[in-house]
Amino acid sequence: MEFELERDAFADAVAWTARGLPSRPVVPVTAGVVLEVTDGALLVSGFDFEVLNRIEVPVTDKSPGRVLVSGRLLAEIARALPPKDVRVAVEGNRLAVRCGSARFNLPLMQVEDYPVVPELPATSGTVRGDVFATAVAQVTTAASRDETLPMLTGVRMEVTPDELIFAATDRYRLAERHVPWQPSDDVASRSVIIPAKTLSDAAKSLGSASDVVLSFGSEGGGFIGFSANGRQTLTRLLDGEFVKFASLWPTESTTTAEVEIAPFVDAVKRVSLVAQRFAPVRMSFDENRVQLSAEAEDESSAEEELEVGVTGEPLTIGFNAGYLLDGLTAVKAPRATLSFTTPARPTVITPVTGLADPDTANSTGEQTYRYLVMSMRLRG
Amino acid sequence: MRLVIARCQVDYLGRLTAHLPMAPRLLLVKADGSVSVHADDRAYKPLNWMSPPCSLAEQPDRWTVTNRAGERLIIEIDEVLHDSVHELGADPGLVKDGVEAHLQALLAAHTTVLGAGFTLVRREYPTAIGPVDLLCRDAAGLVVAVEVKRRGEIDGVEQLTRYVELLNRDPGLAPVTGLFAAQQIKPQARTLAVDRGIRCVTVDYDELRGADSDELRLF
Repeated sequence: MEFELERDAFADAVAWTARGLPSRPVVPVTAGVVLEVTDGALLVSGFDFEVLNRIEVPVTDKSPGRVLVSGRLLAEIARALPPKDVRVAVEGNRLAVRCGSARFNLPLMQVEDYPVVPELPATSGTVRGDVFATAVAQVTTAASRDETLPMLTGVRMEVTPDELIFAATDRYRLAERHVPWQPSDDVASRSVIIPAKTLSDAAKSLGSASDVVLSFGSEGGGFIGFSANGRQTLTRLLDGEFVKFASLWPTESTTTAEVEIAPFVDAVKRVSLVAQRFAPVRMSFDENRVQLSAEAEDESSAEEELEVGVTGEPLTIGFNAGYLLDGLTAVKAPRATLSFTTPARPTVITPVTGLADPDTANSTGEQTYRYLVMSMRLRG
Repeated sequence: MRLVIARCQVDYLGRLTAHLPMAPRLLLVKADGSVSVHADDRAYKPLNWMSPPCSLAEQPDRWTVTNRAGERLIIEIDEVLHDSVHELGADPGLVKDGVEAHLQALLAAHTTVLGAGFTLVRREYPTAIGPVDLLCRDAAGLVVAVEVKRRGEIDGVEQLTRYVELLNRDPGLAPVTGLFAAQQIKPQARTLAVDRGIRCVTVDYDELRGADSDELRLF
């Protein structure tokens, strides 16, 4: 096997693949990256039984072959190479990397022992890259990081003929985002649960593409693929039934507040400085203003007052500052509406927008994002 | 266990010398022969002590504790405020894996958490290489060996693999499959288990115990 390509393309390809490799691999061969030259190009891939990352780069002066080398070492070498063309060739049982006057020889790992990688399921449709990246970021913020209930560490994606509906929850908040997509003709409505961490990584790395291709094939495939710009991420889907979350959305509200997000977020952050980790930030909404306050057991306290548009009954409610801030920053709009029912019921945060902005509303101006956050009990 | 509260001053003569001026203190004389001098602070930590083996020579106003190296703890007693002896007997010891044992008991009582239609054959099923935590039968009547852990790590999967392999040699039980049940399963352990055909189940200890926190949650 032999090929030549530009240094930056090589370094990017190897770095992107190596980043997804396990730091402590269960099977030693999964610490490696596979370099494969076929008639078209060079494929660099890494697989840890859960996630497959694969990138295709055009190369010149090639002869076909497939080898496995340490991913971490190759990425470090590639990053340190001078800005000249890189020539990679198999010489005996080693991989020779030459660039300018620099030469490296790496031992080859046993490519025969490499696990069988999953096949990319049939193409299901495409979604706009920037919309996909925003939507995934807005939803994964609410996914659980606690492995106790694996299903909650995932994002549920519901597939309908014209929309993808992403949702995630960690029992304390719930985020839901509708995204328009272009399905291939024969895609049946269904839903899958995608590991949130992998989905988030994939969305970040593919978000700059104009279109991201989704491949999840037919029911029971077990894998989903995201591809764009020659990059491909395949991840195992999570088993199980997702929480029935539709009924969690309140159907009515007694008080609503419209806030300008930036100053409100700043005020919540300031006040929460004195709130201990699990202590609530108290908010009293009343006639076009909100009073924020927090106190700690050592009797330190903070207060701040802001003008906001309040309609409905006055209300005092407590929040976990982190969960509230996650929602306020995820709406990605200058203003947001907070809809309350009672202090012991969850609050809905939605962006305020009059425009058909694809990031916040669909073509008919309906909101496409909402975030539900549970309140905290206020003591005393 | 002898508890003495006394106004005393203490001198330690050995590899280093130390002096505690006259003050009221708690003196503990334990069944192992050790003597320790406590002030009313620093939790479990004495001001000065002599570890066993050592011997205590008691005079009315002066205790001398000597160890084999010839180091001496000399306690000059001005006034005894309290002196009592209590027979504590042998201590049952600190049980640190209580949660794991309790988890096993709870799962034995609620086998359906492991899978629909699961029934218990027995807890601590004996094998030549140690007891299997739970032996169950699934809905189809096939035998499932269950390993219960608080934190599911690779060594737990290895242990279960050995049990399954051994149990499968018994024609009365085979085919036996493995099930790894833990409160939390490390991704690597999960991967290894799946690779070996072992199913993983994460269990919610608090939910099993019926105890939920009083935090407000969406569900």
